[in-house]
Amino acid sequence: MKEEDLIRKLEEVSLPAIEIPSHQRNLRLALLNRYFKEKRNWEVFGFFKKAIPATLTMIILMSLVYNFLILPGRNLAKAREISLKNPQIKEWIEKGAIIKDIEIIENKAYVLVQPTSKIGEASVALKPETPRIKEEFFGALAEIDLKDKKVSSIEKIDPVVVALTEKEQERIKEISTNDPEIQKTIPKEAEILKIETVPAPLRLMKKDSSVSVVSESTEEKEVQVIYEYGQKQWESKIDLKKEEVKAVNFLGESKE
Amino acid sequence: MNLDEEKKLVYKAKKDPEAFGKLYNEYYSKIFAYILKRVANVDAAQDITSETFYKALKNMWRFRWQNIPFSAWLYRIASNEIANFFRKKKRKTVSLEGISEPTSNSNLLEEIIEAQEQLKKHEEFLCLQEKISTLPIKYQEIITLRFFEKKQIKEISEILRKREGTVKSLLHRGLERLRREMDAIN
Repeated sequence: MKEEDLIRKLEEVSLPAIEIPSHQRNLRLALLNRYFKEKRNWEVFGFFKKAIPATLTMIILMSLVYNFLILPGRNLAKAREISLKNPQIKEWIEKGAIIKDIEIIENKAYVLVQPTSKIGEASVALKPETPRIKEEFFGALAEIDLKDKKVSSIEKIDPVVVALTEKEQERIKEISTNDPEIQKTIPKEAEILKIETVPAPLRLMKKDSSVSVVSESTEEKEVQVIYEYGQKQWESKIDLKKEEVKAVNFLGESKE
Repeated sequence: MNLDEEKKLVYKAKKDPEAFGKLYNEYYSKIFAYILKRVANVDAAQDITSETFYKALKNMWRFRWQNIPFSAWLYRIASNEIANFFRKKKRKTVSLEGISEPTSNSNLLEEIIEAQEQLKKHEEFLCLQEKISTLPIKYQEIITLRFFEKKQIKEISEILRKREGTVKSLLHRGLERLRREMDAIN
């Protein structure tokens, strides 16, 4: 048989035109009954289809709020609470130190404890009875394990003292000699025992997954000068940039 | 019904049972006739038609209008159901409740008997259909759509979601296979 003959046969064959009206009616009825069931499903699905993006957005927003606002706040409070329970930190706080800064990295918190008074003052906390004994505390960095709720380590921080040039030292001596307040408080015969810069206040700096203690940038460059005459000691604080005396204090007298 | 009217009706049918009923009335006969020509069995044709419309109803919510007649979608569902029927070599269980409980059993039975009698009268068709049914499904559906449903190549490509070139090539190969089947018997 040729293809043309087959095509002609297929095109010309008498096709059945059969209908089963009862089946058509029954199926229609069954489908309409089913329609209402399906429609409910579409509506439920439609509701969820609309609700899902809104719910997802809400979840993302909530997790962002929790992770970036609530959790850090809670962790900061937790770190503060744990550090205040530590006997060493508690002692410093009782003596006037404060929790200056806290940084959180994963499950660890880093707490910077510093004296409230200007740092240099602490270095010369000379008592009248023991004038040359220094109670040096410039600050400490405590590492807190938030998971175990304990202080893992405490590291005392050494003051960062910037050396003064000879020219600066000369200028300070000049200011000390000529300042009327110093002249009034400290005897002319008193010798300058020590001149050093007051370490700048500290803060924590988070970088990647580590924390470091850095000096706060400050406009002032403050210098502390210790004077001695006989058994007595004084101090003056001089702003080297403004070239002015900020304070003159009597520190105490040794009983030696 | 033109394409715009049909589009409106289809979207209405997603919410309105009457609109779905209109689509059903419009296409039931065509779909039933296509299925019957593919399976040459009145009972199977009824079941597959039921399943086709049920699937259409169930998936109506995700139907997206693509500027082709709604019937193309129905034909595609029907073709898939027929393929399932041939694969399983048995009639599928009808998932519609109520179909087995016709309002008038005696009427339905009479109509089925009459339909079977009518079908038997089309001997030449049955003979051709028998040969076609030996071919792979992809040739069966293309030959039936082209010659028994009188569909154009473009319409077949819309129904089967195949390129027109692919449809032409399948049709050519299908006819060649059918011709060889016919020659073998003769």
